[in-house]
This record gives sequence, structure tokens and C-alpha cells, in this order.
Amino acid sequence: MKEIIEILKNGIIKSNPVLILLLGLCPTLAVSTSIDNAFGMTAAVLFVLISSNIIVSLIRNFIPQRVRIPVFIVIIATLVTIVDLTMQAFLPNLSESLGIFIPLIVVNCIILGRAEAFASKNKVPNAILDAVGMGIGFGIAITIISFFRQILGTGNLNIFGNEIFQVPALSENPMPIFILPMGAFLVISLLLATLRYSGVIKNG
Amino acid sequence: MTKNNLKKEIVPVLFLTFVVCISAIFLYVTNNVTEEYIENAKDDAVKSMLKEQFTEMDDYSYDEKMDLYNVFLNDEIIGYAFVAVANGYGGPIELIVALESNSLQDDEIIIHGISVVSHSETPGLGEKIVEASFSDQFTGINFNDVALTRDGGKIDAISGATISSSAVVDAVFNTVKEKVDVILENIDLNNEEGS
Repeated sequence: MKEIIEILKNGIIKSNPVLILLLGLCPTLAVSTSIDNAFGMTAAVLFVLISSNIIVSLIRNFIPQRVRIPVFIVIIATLVTIVDLTMQAFLPNLSESLGIFIPLIVVNCIILGRAEAFASKNKVPNAILDAVGMGIGFGIAITIISFFRQILGTGNLNIFGNEIFQVPALSENPMPIFILPMGAFLVISLLLATLRYSGVIKNG
Repeated sequence: MTKNNLKKEIVPVLFLTFVVCISAIFLYVTNNVTEEYIENAKDDAVKSMLKEQFTEMDDYSYDEKMDLYNVFLNDEIIGYAFVAVANGYGGPIELIVALESNSLQDDEIIIHGISVVSHSETPGLGEKIVEASFSDQFTGINFNDVALTRDGGKIDAISGATISSSAVVDAVFNTVKEKVDVILENIDLNNEEGS
């Protein structure tokens, strides 16, 4: 039980892929313009991460050392293509707004990183837990970032078409800079600085 | 090469080949299952895009030869729609341009309306091309008036986004010009065949 919590905590807080390891920043910064995108991306990453960790962990004793990275990439690319096609078929709007960043999950370092660093050395249940923890950690980080970007950049908070609330002065004069790529860097750097200053995450 | 060495060389190759084959099978299955749904989703997207322009339409068909959509109501063509690609500030802007079919016979080309399909313009500035205040300016306008006001036309540019605005105007003007020729040519051909 203690081990389970430890592995989950490791992914969500102690080595959060985005906030601590600073891995997978490309999709994080690019699609975090709205909460919808953040949820869609998290779901896609979570599915690919869990499946790839399971498969890699299952075949970890058979993979010849020399071809392990190509094997991982083939497995991940297959999973990502399945996600991409499924999204195009059943969620065309989400697929449209996530665009190129779904196929780019193939080269997302979180997934290859966990396959190499964790799943290829651990039993299946632990590999699943690690994937869940890392996936949730990624989801929390991208959701926080897109929350601030959406509020500051548009003045509204819409989740799947439902308006949650509107910031009165901001919705008339939003700051579109936060929707631009530059705003992503501003938000993530301020977020990291705040978390570090307040001691939520520690150096080293 | 000793036997042991050969084995060391060949096992990784076989393993990778095996993994690739398995993944190809999975992709084949997924593709077969989703293909139909993806086609339907695309079809729905086209239909809702055309419906935005011709609310009364009941069917459409894609004309490969002319590269445009014929829009039908009760089996009669009520309009044409086609894609125009503008060279925007942040990349290509894809537009749907709709024409009324009976305006072509009267020799006066009336644009039924335009809508933006996809774009990557700056949020807050060029992005306003999707807003009705800009795109509605094209609704019901004579083809000859498609130009920015500073060039003697009837389209007001978005302040701060002149490049995006003129890109849209240019694309609409050029594509309509090109397509009207194609449509008229085809109508003539059909009439000759019929007579």
C-alpha cells in the first residue's frame, strides 16, 4: 500500500513531469490555450502512457538491449496512431483543435522517458501506477497553465461549451498575449517561480 | 563469423521485425474500424459548413472536375461553394465562398457569403476575420465590390490586421473569378450537349 502511494506521489508531486522534470513542454505550452484542450491532451497522453508502460513492462525481459529504443518508438507510434484515428472518428472537433500535437505525442519525452526509465525495469502493476501518476501529474500541470491562460487571455472560463464564469473587466478587455505562445512561457515561468518560492516544490 | 555471433546479430533484427508486424496488424484493424466514422465526420463537417451559407439546402455533391460543391434544394442547384485559400499573416487561411447560382445567369455575380474554415492568425487581431462583423460584409455583395475600402471596394479592413483582411479579400476575389469562368464554361458545355 505504501509503495502504491509512493509511486503515485512520485509522478504527481515529487517528480512531476512538467513542473519538476520539465519534460514534454512542447505539447504543454502549445495546446494549453483552453481547458478543453488540456483535458483532451491529458486523456490522450494518459491512454498512450498507460498502454505503452504495460506493453513495455510485459516484454521487458525479451527486448534485446540494442534495439530497445526503436522497439519503444514503434509501440508508442502505434498507440498514438490508434488514438489519433479514434479521435478523428468520434471527436472531430477536439481532434481539429489539438491538431498536430496528437501525432507529436510519439516524440513526447514523458512517454519514452517512462518506458526507458521505469517500465523496462519494473513489474506490470508498478508500471501502471507509474503511468497513472505521471499522467495525472501532466494533467494537473497543463490544466493549471491553461486555466490561467484562458482566464487572462479571453476573460471567460468555458469548459466544453458551458460558461463557468466571466471576469467582468477582463472579458471586455482581455489580454490576448496570454493565448499567444509567449503567454505560455510567461505563465509557466511565473507558476514555477511561485511554486518554488512557496516551497511546494523543492530544488534538487 | 561464429555461430554465437550470428545469433547475437540476428535476434534483435527479428525481434524488431516481429514488433513492427504486430503493430501493423493493430493499425490495419483500427484503420478499418474507424475509416467509415472518419468519412462520416468529414461529411458532416462539410455539410454543416455549407448549411451555414445555405440554410435551406437539403443536399450537396462534390464536383471533382470543377473542384467545388453543388448545393441542392429539391434536386435543383441553388448555389455553389468552394474553398479559397488566403495567404494570411500567420499562415494559410481556408475559406468557404458561396455563390448564388441564379446570379450567374443574370451576368451579375453576387457572393452569397463566406466563412472561415481554419486559420492561424493572431488572436485578438487577425483572428477577427472569423467574426460576423467582418465576414458578413461579404454577404450579398457584388463581385466587383470585393476590395478594401481604401482600394475603392466595400470591405472595411479590421484595424490592426490589414494583412489578414486584404489576404481574405484577395483570395475571395481571385478564387471567385477563376471559379465563375469554370462554372460558366461547364454550363455552356452542358447546354451544347443538350441542344
